[in-house]
Amino acid sequence: MSLIYNALSGALAAQAGLSATSQNVANVMTPGYSRQGVLLASVQPLQSGALSAGSGVTVPSLLRFSDNYKSLQMWSAASELGQRSTAQPYFTQLEQVLGEDESGINSGLDAFFGALNAASVEPTSSPLRQQVITTADALAQRFNSLNQVLSNQRASVAQQRYTSIAQVNTLSQQIAKLNEQIARTQGTGVNPSGLIDARDAKIDELSSLVALQVVPQSDGSSSVSLRGGQPLVVGARAADMRVQWNPDGSQTLFVDFASESFSLANTRLGGQMGGLDDFEARSLVPLMESVMGMAQQLADNVNGQLAAGYALDGTTGLPLFVLDATGATGVLQVRADVTAAQLAFSSNPATPGNSDNLQALIALQRQPVTLAALGSVSLADAMTQLVAQLGMQSQQNTAALSTAQTVRDQAQESWKSTSGVNLDEEAANLMQYQQMYQANMKVIAIANELFDSTLAMLR
Amino acid sequence: MRIASTQYHATMNTALQSASVRLQNILQKMASGERYLLPSESPIANVRLSRLTREEALLDQYRDNIATLQSTMSRNEAVLSGMSADLLSARDLLVWVADGSNTSEDIAAVASSFEPLIASLFYNANTLDAEGRYVFSGTAPQTPTLSYDPAAPLGARYTATGNVEQQLVAVGNGITQPANVTVPELADTLNRMESIYTTLRTPGISVNDPVIRAAVADTLVALDEALDINSTKIATLGGSQNILATLESNHSNVSLSNQHAALIVGQLDYGDAAVKLNGYHAAIEATQKAYSKVSKLSLFDAL
Repeated sequence: MSLIYNALSGALAAQAGLSATSQNVANVMTPGYSRQGVLLASVQPLQSGALSAGSGVTVPSLLRFSDNYKSLQMWSAASELGQRSTAQPYFTQLEQVLGEDESGINSGLDAFFGALNAASVEPTSSPLRQQVITTADALAQRFNSLNQVLSNQRASVAQQRYTSIAQVNTLSQQIAKLNEQIARTQGTGVNPSGLIDARDAKIDELSSLVALQVVPQSDGSSSVSLRGGQPLVVGARAADMRVQWNPDGSQTLFVDFASESFSLANTRLGGQMGGLDDFEARSLVPLMESVMGMAQQLADNVNGQLAAGYALDGTTGLPLFVLDATGATGVLQVRADVTAAQLAFSSNPATPGNSDNLQALIALQRQPVTLAALGSVSLADAMTQLVAQLGMQSQQNTAALSTAQTVRDQAQESWKSTSGVNLDEEAANLMQYQQMYQANMKVIAIANELFDSTLAMLR
Repeated sequence: MRIASTQYHATMNTALQSASVRLQNILQKMASGERYLLPSESPIANVRLSRLTREEALLDQYRDNIATLQSTMSRNEAVLSGMSADLLSARDLLVWVADGSNTSEDIAAVASSFEPLIASLFYNANTLDAEGRYVFSGTAPQTPTLSYDPAAPLGARYTATGNVEQQLVAVGNGITQPANVTVPELADTLNRMESIYTTLRTPGISVNDPVIRAAVADTLVALDEALDINSTKIATLGGSQNILATLESNHSNVSLSNQHAALIVGQLDYGDAAVKLNGYHAAIEATQKAYSKVSKLSLFDAL
């Protein structure tokens, strides 16, 4: 009789193998699916006696092909990729806006100082003076539109950070929920592989948003914390991330877990959120400050020089530019009631045709301005250097992005080489388990024949 | 290493993606003719191009200024030449007057020719430009260059009311050129001419009177001096225009070399781009062919 039982156990094991194979084939395209296999073990003979080979085969459990180390690598690569890829569109947009020479600050400055230069030929000519005002207005508008682009970017960064926080919270809760289900399922002896896949996919998604530390626990759950150690998920409990607006326009993040609250100020977050932080703190804000600084020093220098001169009617020079750092209509404007005759080109109230002060105005182009991002540079060269600095930052980010993409691709490939399904392999398994099943059935048939011959003797 | 089936798709996708990015990039460059689409492709080249553009803008302005200045100077030169002609005519008349055989009627007739010359000199000295500014008034263009006060004693009626300051125009980096000429000494000349004119019109005048002779001789000397000064100004204007022409040619040479440099730095090498385009194209084609071969292999076909 043991012959039939052995063959039956073999047939059942083959069925389990076929079932696992079919699941693998069915999920060949499922992202994040970890392939499964059957663990086969021979059963020790139940009967006593030296001639008992054994009591068939058993499938103690299903095998889940996964390598925790490879998963961790994949997640850390996702964080790096997220960090670089988030900043790149912002960089590219800024480069396109700033790199456009014809509509930029540089050509605006060229036109303004060109108009001053042209006026030096006939300093009292109304059309030439009017041209100075017109180009000054165009220059101010260029500053305003650039400042608008930068402000929009900052608003966009804040918005994206806000959305990312919502995603982090949702994912943390989902991971906590899956942790709970995994622990319970494992306790009741059901195969949790699908749940683990689902949870790891969520961790992967989360790691793209923010850099993580993931520690597997004995009950099958995973504890997830930020790179700085602040907890996001512990077992079945998830933390809550929130943002606080500061008066200076910046934002501070907090993580609330149970009754504790952790500030994330000055923390290198990594992932997309870290990318946003880096871009804002290292590129966008210094650039905004520099552009503001340029506008301010241009206005101050020009107005200051004009105040040292005299208008056509011999009165002391009035300012040309009006600076309003918080202005709704823009930071830099040309004074609304300025007239061509008011421009103070003369250094002597009695001689309106004198152009000494005009020459001093023209020389402002070569005078240094002090900018947050660059230090002291000449006004004419400041924008060129700002664009160059941005270009270098963007170049660094592009190179890092390309590296991060390669690392992530390799990490995924490496993960797949352990956990991914290979159809040829499954086809071979399918054939082998089919043969195993057929062979076991044959054993039962032969056992049946043997039994029949024994019975036939009794007829 | 074990390879998962989906790895073929992933590899294929990655390869096609990156090839498409490169193709798009090279196509955009070929369309625009620019070597760099964004500053980050070469921050240094970007700085060089930007600085060349700044210098070009400045050179353009200098060349504009030079062109305007040259036309102003030739106008001034024409007016000054007119003044020289007037002064010369006045001198000729006086030389003729000095001839002792002239009767007082002859001299009165000559004197009447003197008057339009004085008016012409006065008018030319107060030349206005299109915007109504006195071109010879230095830095006080709203004030007449010379004023005439009929109430003042004879010989002091003409006064120079403009000033002699220079209007400097930037024509190069740190190079300025005066745009204006001033003629204050003409006031003195005109006063002398008016005095002699009045004297010569006195009825019954005799040029053989030593006082009259001395007055005529003095005026001749003054006219000679005025002519000298005027000729010097014309010569200086000519010299300045030569300097401007040299500067202009320097600027245009620098501008040409700047433009050449900008082309070298910023223009796409189409040959190189075409070779790259071909390379990328071949890579995509090869990847697609390899993928279609590899993806045809399946053990399931043998089942």
